[in-house]
Amino acid sequence: MASGQVRLSADPLTTDHWPLTTYTGGVNRIRVAFAFSLLLLGACSKERPVQPLAPIADDTTPVDGGTVIRRLEGDVKTLNPLLSETRYDHYVESCLFTPLLQLDANLLPTTTGSLTDKYEISADGKEYTFHLNPKATFSDGSPVRASDVVFTLAKIVDPKSEAAQFAGMFELWDPVKTRADDAHNTIVVAFKDILAPQLTFFTLLRPIPQHVYSQGDFKTAYNMTAVGSGPFKLVRRVPGKEILLERRADFWGVKPHFQNVLFKVITDDNTAWQAVKRGDIDETMITSDVWMAESRRPELQKILDFRRFYTLNYNFIGWNEHDPILADKRVRRALASCVDLQSIITNLYHGTARAMNGPFTPDQWAYNPEVPVIQYDPAETKRVLNALGWMDTDGDGILDKNKKPFTLDMIIVGGNGPSGPFAQLFQSELKNIGVELKITTLDGSAFFERFMSGNFQSCFLSWDLDPDPDPRALFHSSQFPPNGQNTVFYKNPTADALIDQGRRELDHTKRIAIYRQLHAVLADDQPYTWTVQVSLKWAVSKRIRNVKESKGWGLYLWYPGELDWWIPLAQQKK
Amino acid sequence: MLTYVVRRLLYGVLTFFGITIAIFLLVHSVPGDPILFYVGSHGASSLSHAVLDEIRHAHHLDQPILQQYAWWLRGVMTFDFGTSFIDHRPVTERIWERLPNTLILNVIAFLVAAAIGVPIGLWSAARSGRPIERASAVTFFVLYSLPSFWVALLLMQLFAVRLNVLPLFGMTSDEYLDLNGMMKMADRAKHLILPVITLAYAQLALFARFSKSALTEVIRQDYITTARAKGATNGAVLWRHGFRNALIPLITLLGITLPYLISGSVIVEQIFQWDGIGRLYFEAILTRDYPTVLGLSVATAVATLIASLLADLLYIAADPRIRLEGK
Repeated sequence: MASGQVRLSADPLTTDHWPLTTYTGGVNRIRVAFAFSLLLLGACSKERPVQPLAPIADDTTPVDGGTVIRRLEGDVKTLNPLLSETRYDHYVESCLFTPLLQLDANLLPTTTGSLTDKYEISADGKEYTFHLNPKATFSDGSPVRASDVVFTLAKIVDPKSEAAQFAGMFELWDPVKTRADDAHNTIVVAFKDILAPQLTFFTLLRPIPQHVYSQGDFKTAYNMTAVGSGPFKLVRRVPGKEILLERRADFWGVKPHFQNVLFKVITDDNTAWQAVKRGDIDETMITSDVWMAESRRPELQKILDFRRFYTLNYNFIGWNEHDPILADKRVRRALASCVDLQSIITNLYHGTARAMNGPFTPDQWAYNPEVPVIQYDPAETKRVLNALGWMDTDGDGILDKNKKPFTLDMIIVGGNGPSGPFAQLFQSELKNIGVELKITTLDGSAFFERFMSGNFQSCFLSWDLDPDPDPRALFHSSQFPPNGQNTVFYKNPTADALIDQGRRELDHTKRIAIYRQLHAVLADDQPYTWTVQVSLKWAVSKRIRNVKESKGWGLYLWYPGELDWWIPLAQQKK
Repeated sequence: MLTYVVRRLLYGVLTFFGITIAIFLLVHSVPGDPILFYVGSHGASSLSHAVLDEIRHAHHLDQPILQQYAWWLRGVMTFDFGTSFIDHRPVTERIWERLPNTLILNVIAFLVAAAIGVPIGLWSAARSGRPIERASAVTFFVLYSLPSFWVALLLMQLFAVRLNVLPLFGMTSDEYLDLNGMMKMADRAKHLILPVITLAYAQLALFARFSKSALTEVIRQDYITTARAKGATNGAVLWRHGFRNALIPLITLLGITLPYLISGSVIVEQIFQWDGIGRLYFEAILTRDYPTVLGLSVATAVATLIASLLADLLYIAADPRIRLEGK
């Protein structure tokens, strides 16, 4: 069973291209890359000046109190952390439930802020011993015990739970050899085999109290209640509208500064933009259009902090290697030379994107900076294709070979995203050298179905990656559909070996070397043509202090992340 | 007349079954495996085939389409639309908790549109041809052509952001629970203003044009001339003789618009974050939440049928010719 860790960066419900899917750990998930940008056709005349914030006497010392108002791009599906699917579920759960390990700002596992004081890994890599913090408690006052962790693991792997997002991450878990010692707050989690990414998967393991969650129907009973070990507890949830959390007075760890978190559900991006300007919410993702048109206005810069950062996400063209034309690596590389990355970055994204050179983003430790980006050189493309026998023998402007014309079909997702413009740019570049590209626009789930089954010639979409760079689900030859997500049918024994090696190597330095090599191999083979990484744009109210970004995960879902924010006294709202 | 009513009801029942078949087939012919969305589109390869098959079996997705239809129809008859693929709650519950919100919004918008539009239409008919009537006709035409999402954005930008006199979105404020009874009503009313305007302005234009043309049609009839010849006042002519006859096409319009009271506000609900079934429908379609989509489609279909039945029954009240026809 595949244990991939990527998913398409689009939720059918979301509007811009960072949808609410979240860290999936080792589970196959795909969502399609949508990017809706709503055009703001509002009145363009001069806006009435917005009141700047009152000057603060001292804004460097964190103070306690206040309510942070955050936006959920869609309502959460559940408050049960084992059943969560979307990124919004995780936003709320990271406040309510503390995981076994946390991700730090560099997206590496750490014990800081987690339930664990220290941990050890056995020499054979199959046993992880966690020494839990004896002071850790759930919001009902009961202590976090080792047996609660075992209960949580058992629930995750239980098929009846349908914990689809996490089950794959712990499929190697060995319940027989796992030992929980409640008296000493120690748990030895045993696995059937060694797996290097396993440590990172523990950052998604949010233990739940057995005495609470063993009651009732696990799948449906916990949509409106939550008992967790996090710094906040649930006050109320109004489905479709909001979730209010309150800081626990009895929290056992480092208490966040602010008193309450109010999550408001706003699905429409434009409404959210208006809301953040008015102060109805404190932060929201903003679309590229809004960034371009509005972020430089001085009256807005007085009240909002405009942030731009890269995440673990890239756009790519997938080449189906079962197709006779695309099976040849030279053809793929030649076609890749027809992608004018600079033009895309400048014209399509106004400079807010950067080029990719392979399967890992520049923020990932697996990234190999020495792998060259394939240069834009259409003349070279034509030369290579001619050398391979593709000539325009019948003078119709399209290359052909053995009387068959060079036509390519590319599936993309419909909607207002950049997929359409990119495909059209590529189409016109290819037309110049004699390749005919047909663009097939599909809606989210139709695209998803064709993509997952490998039923396409080429495709354009984007992936959201996980902190652990293991790309087995995408590029290992054992992961052809329906087993996994290697839907381009890429097969290279060298890559297979490197992927397998990377999964078994626990020494971080050695792992880096393996993945850098893999990076070079994949970049050379071009199962995908990696195009660009698009930055995410965010608007945060200036009344929130200490808003920091992680290396690839944005503002949230790492430690301390939003738990470190604070609001000056003068700007605190109840 | 009784035969008319009975016949009408039978037609309604037959149409209902026909609609259910059409909806069912349409929804199931849309590409995209519902199971993939049921398990959140990530469990597809994480959960074993055995588990997925079990899920398929539980939702009858592995049976031939005719049997699936039979299962579903059985549920529909008992108001059991199954459970949503997304949050595993009964569809009826999901619809029920949001239906009042949509109804409030749409009914108020409808009443506003009718209360303003119909009198204006009648007034236009009385002053047909004059410059002021021409001007109003053009205005209404323009109004009707404006896309509702654009108007919504403009209204939000003007009243909520620039002038800051009305709330931006939602049905209630953050502090709603802390307000007393009177203030709660006022809060709800404030939140209704912008969405109602967005929904009503186009309907208004429609009502105005429709009632104008209905009355104009009637005024040309011979019996109007007779009434005038008999010496009836202009008002009596228009009201007693004209309007009642103009009612019949208006009832037709009512019959057509009533179903929109449930289904017509998808965009407005999306923009204003209104917790109605329009938004539910939209989300359910995108996520291939079959049970919810089917449930809502049936609800809308039933609403349409009832509305047209109501309209037909109202004809009986309004038009004596139908009453007498039955005899």
